[in-house]
Amino acid sequence: MDSMMNQKTVLAVTDDVVLPVSSVLAIMKELGKEVIESFDPLIITQASTINQFPLDASSVEAVLAISKTSDFPSDKICGEFSRILKPGGTVSVCKVLEGETGEIQQTIQRRVTLAGFLEPQCLDLKSIKLSTFSLSFGIKAKKPSWKIGSSFALKKPVTNLFKIDLDDDVDLIDEDSLLTEEDLMKPQLPVASGCETTKKACKNCVCGRAEIEEKAVKLGLTEDQIENPQSSCGSCGLGDAFRCGTCPYKGLPPFKLGEKVTLSQNFLEADI
Amino acid sequence: MGEKQRKLLVLYASQTGNALDAAERIGREAERRGLPASVVSTDEFDTSSLPHHEEAVVFVVSTTGQGDSPDSFKAFWRFLLQRNLGNYWLQQVRYAVFGLGDSGYQKYNFVAKKLDKRLSDLGATTIIEKGLGDDQHPSGYEGTLDPWMLSLWRTLYQINPKYFPKGPDVKIPQDEVIDKPKYRILFHKQEKLEPKLLSDSDIIQRARGMSPGKLFKDKSKPDCFLKMTRNEVLTKAESTKDVRHFEFQFVSSTIEYEVGDVVELLPSQNSSVVDAFIERCGLDPESFITVGPRETENSSFSEEMITQIPIKLKTFVELTMDVTSASPRRYFFEIMSFYATAEHEKERLQYFASPEGRDDLYNYNQKERRSILEVLEDFPSVQIPFDWLVQLVPPLKPRAFSISSSPLAHPAAVHLTVSIVSWITPYKRTRKGLCSSWLASLAPEQEVNIPVWFHKGSLPAPSQSLPLILVGPGTGCAPFRGFIAERAVQAQSSPVAPVMFFFGCRNKDTDFLYRDFWESHAREGGMLSEGKGGGFYTAFSRDQPKKVYVQHKIREMSKRVWDLLCDGAAVYVAGSSTKMPCDVMSAFEDIVSEETGGGSKEVASRWLKALEKTGRYNVEAWS
Repeated sequence: MDSMMNQKTVLAVTDDVVLPVSSVLAIMKELGKEVIESFDPLIITQASTINQFPLDASSVEAVLAISKTSDFPSDKICGEFSRILKPGGTVSVCKVLEGETGEIQQTIQRRVTLAGFLEPQCLDLKSIKLSTFSLSFGIKAKKPSWKIGSSFALKKPVTNLFKIDLDDDVDLIDEDSLLTEEDLMKPQLPVASGCETTKKACKNCVCGRAEIEEKAVKLGLTEDQIENPQSSCGSCGLGDAFRCGTCPYKGLPPFKLGEKVTLSQNFLEADI
Repeated sequence: MGEKQRKLLVLYASQTGNALDAAERIGREAERRGLPASVVSTDEFDTSSLPHHEEAVVFVVSTTGQGDSPDSFKAFWRFLLQRNLGNYWLQQVRYAVFGLGDSGYQKYNFVAKKLDKRLSDLGATTIIEKGLGDDQHPSGYEGTLDPWMLSLWRTLYQINPKYFPKGPDVKIPQDEVIDKPKYRILFHKQEKLEPKLLSDSDIIQRARGMSPGKLFKDKSKPDCFLKMTRNEVLTKAESTKDVRHFEFQFVSSTIEYEVGDVVELLPSQNSSVVDAFIERCGLDPESFITVGPRETENSSFSEEMITQIPIKLKTFVELTMDVTSASPRRYFFEIMSFYATAEHEKERLQYFASPEGRDDLYNYNQKERRSILEVLEDFPSVQIPFDWLVQLVPPLKPRAFSISSSPLAHPAAVHLTVSIVSWITPYKRTRKGLCSSWLASLAPEQEVNIPVWFHKGSLPAPSQSLPLILVGPGTGCAPFRGFIAERAVQAQSSPVAPVMFFFGCRNKDTDFLYRDFWESHAREGGMLSEGKGGGFYTAFSRDQPKKVYVQHKIREMSKRVWDLLCDGAAVYVAGSSTKMPCDVMSAFEDIVSEETGGGSKEVASRWLKALEKTGRYNVEAWS
C-alpha cells in the first residue's frame, strides 16, 4: 500500500486515437530521470474535445500531452492541466513530428504560459525512438509551488535605521570612558555679574542693590496708582511685554492710562 | 569654480522640544546667510550614511537631569559606540556639537560631551569647540547658542568661502523672509461629515496624529481611559504643600501594569480659556479641519490629508495645543512681528526676536511662564494665521506619574500620589501646574474620562525574594507604596524578603504621607520591622533647627544598610530630581567605603556602578 501511496500519478493525454503505455513510459523517462518503472499512467486519448478531466484538483504529479494537431492542447485544456496538477507539478507537451513546427512551438509555449505555468523549457525530442510515432519537440513547464488561495506574509522592507537590535550583544565601547576628569567634576554654575541672579540683595550688599530694593518696596502700588494709573514712560499700560524692569505695574494686566486697573475675571483663578 | 553649492546638515535629538527649536534656529540662521540647511532628527537619519557627508554636520542634543539622552538618540548613539567602526570612519566629516543641559545637575550636558569626544575619536574634524547651553544661564541655552552660531558661521567661511558666497555676515533681513508654515489646514463643509461615529479614543488619536507635535506621533491613541474614584488631600492644612491621593478605575478596558510603572495623563485645558484663545485668533470653533504637512518641492499634496476624517477645530485645539500653560518659543515672537500691525508692537516683537532682546524676552516670557494666550493678549494688533499657530503653539503633552498602587493589592485600580504644583513668578504672578491642579479640581461625581498611556519607568518590579532598600522622600514614596502593598499580599501565602524604607518630608505633623500605612508594616512582624531585617526610617527636615534629610538617615543606619546590601538587596531611589538622588548616592558611597574597611571613595563608587549595571541600583526622579 505504501508504494501505491508513493506512486506518482501521471496523466497522459493525446488527441490521437491510440497512445501505447510503452511510448508514454519512454517519453517520461526521457523527460524526467526521477520516473520510476512502477508507475501506471492514466491515459486519455482523443482528448481534444474534452471539457474536464475526471480527476480532482491538485491530484496529479505530472501531465504528458502528446499533440498531433496544432489545436491541441487548447487553452481550455491547458487550464484543466493547471487545475488537476499538484503545486510544483510539471506539464510536458510533446508535438508529433508531422509537418510544420517553428510557429507551433511558440504557440504552445504561449498557451502553457498563459495557463499559469512557470519556467517553460523547449526540448528537442527528435532523438527518442518510439514504436508508433516520432516526436519533434516538447515544452516542459512547472505549476507554481503554491496553491490557489494560499497566502504568505510580505517581508517588510528592512530599513537601515534600525539595523541594530538594541538587545543584540554587539561590541560597544564603554561610553563613560568618553568623559574627561573635568567633565566628571561638579559643574560650575554660570557666574553672573554682581549679585543679579539672586532673589534678594546680599546682607552686606556693597553694590547698591539693597538701596534699590528698599526703594522698590516703597514703590509698592498705592491705591491711587490702581485707581488712576499714570506712566511717565508711557509704556506701563501696554502690559508686561512693554514694561521696564522696575515698573511698579509689573505682573498686572494691560490697562488704559487714567482708568482704574481692572483685574481680569479669571486673574485670581487657577490657570488651568 | 564649478564646485556645487555647500549645504549644512543639522542633526538633532530632542526630548522636550528645546533641542528641536535650537536645531531649527541654526537651520534658519544658515539659510538667511545663503547656506541651505536640512534639519533631521537622529532617529530619522540613516546612521550608516554619516561617513559620506562631506558637508558640515551640526549636532544638537539635549541631556536630561539624570544624564540620559533623548529616546530619539538611543539607536543612533548605539551605532556610534560600536568598537569596530575604527578611528577613520568619519575622517571626511566636519562637525560641531551644541548641547542643551542644566548645570544644576552633576551630569551636565553629558550627552553632548560624550558625542563630541566620540565623533572626534571616529576621525571626524571639529569645526568649532562644542557649545554647551545651560538652563541656569540668565537667558537659558540661547545665551550660549547665539555667540556659538556666530563663531560657527565665521569658521565655516574661513574653511571654505563657498559656504557663504556673500560672506558669513550678510543676512537677508528678517522682515523680508517670512518662512512658510510647515503645515496646512483644510477647512471642510460640515454637512458632509458624520463625526458621531467616532469614539473618544479615536478622536484623540485623530487629533494628536495630525498634530505637528512629533514627540508623541507613535502613540497618539491612548491605551485606555481612567475615571477618578477618590480625591483625598494627604497633607494637613498648615502644610506649605498640597499633596493628593487619587484613585482611579478603568473605563471599559483594563490595562495590566506592574508596580513601579508610570502612567501618563493627558490633562484637559479650561474650556473657557480655549474659547478665549479661539476668539482671540478670529477662528470658528465649530469649523471642521484636517491638518497635514504642507506640500514642498519634493512632496506633492499629501493624500493622507484628503483621506483623513476632519475634526472640529475646538477639539483639535483642546487636545493638541497648549494655549494655557506652556510658554511660546522665541520663533513665535519673530513670526508675530511679521503680523503685528501696530508699530510699537512690531518694534517690540522684533526686539524680542533679536539677540539684544534675548534676556528681556527670557524674563518676560519663559521665566514668567507666559502662556500663548497671555502673549497674544499683550499684542492685540497681531493676527496670526491658524497654520502658523498649529506649528508654533507648544504641543499639549501628557504628564507622567509614578503609580502608587499594586495591581495585586488594588485590583482594577490605579492610585497616584500627586503634589499640586503652584508657584509665584518673579513678577509676583501665581502660576499653577496644568495637570496637577486640573486633577485636584476633579470630583469623582463628575465622571470625567481621562485618557492615559501606561509604560515602564526606570523602576523594574522586584521579585518578592529580593531584599529592598527604598529611598523615597516626598511624593517619591509613591512607587514604594505599591511595592510594599504588593509584597504584603505576597506575604500572606509565602515568605518575602525584608524591606528597608527611608522616607522624608518637612514636618512630621503636616506632610507625613501615608503615615498609617508605613507604620502598620513597621510593627512587629511586618516586612518593614527591624525584627524581620527591614526598617522604616524618617527624616523630618524642618522639625528641628538643623535640617535632616534621608541621606543623613541612611548614613545613621550604615551598618544595617550594609548588611542588607550584602544579602543582595537592591536599592531603589525615587523623588525630586534636583539634589536628592546625588546626595543619596554619596551616602551609599560613604557606607560602602567605610564598611569595606576604609576603602577609597573611588572603590566604593565603582562598587555602586557595578550594582547599577546589574540592575540593583535604580533611580526614578522628576522635577
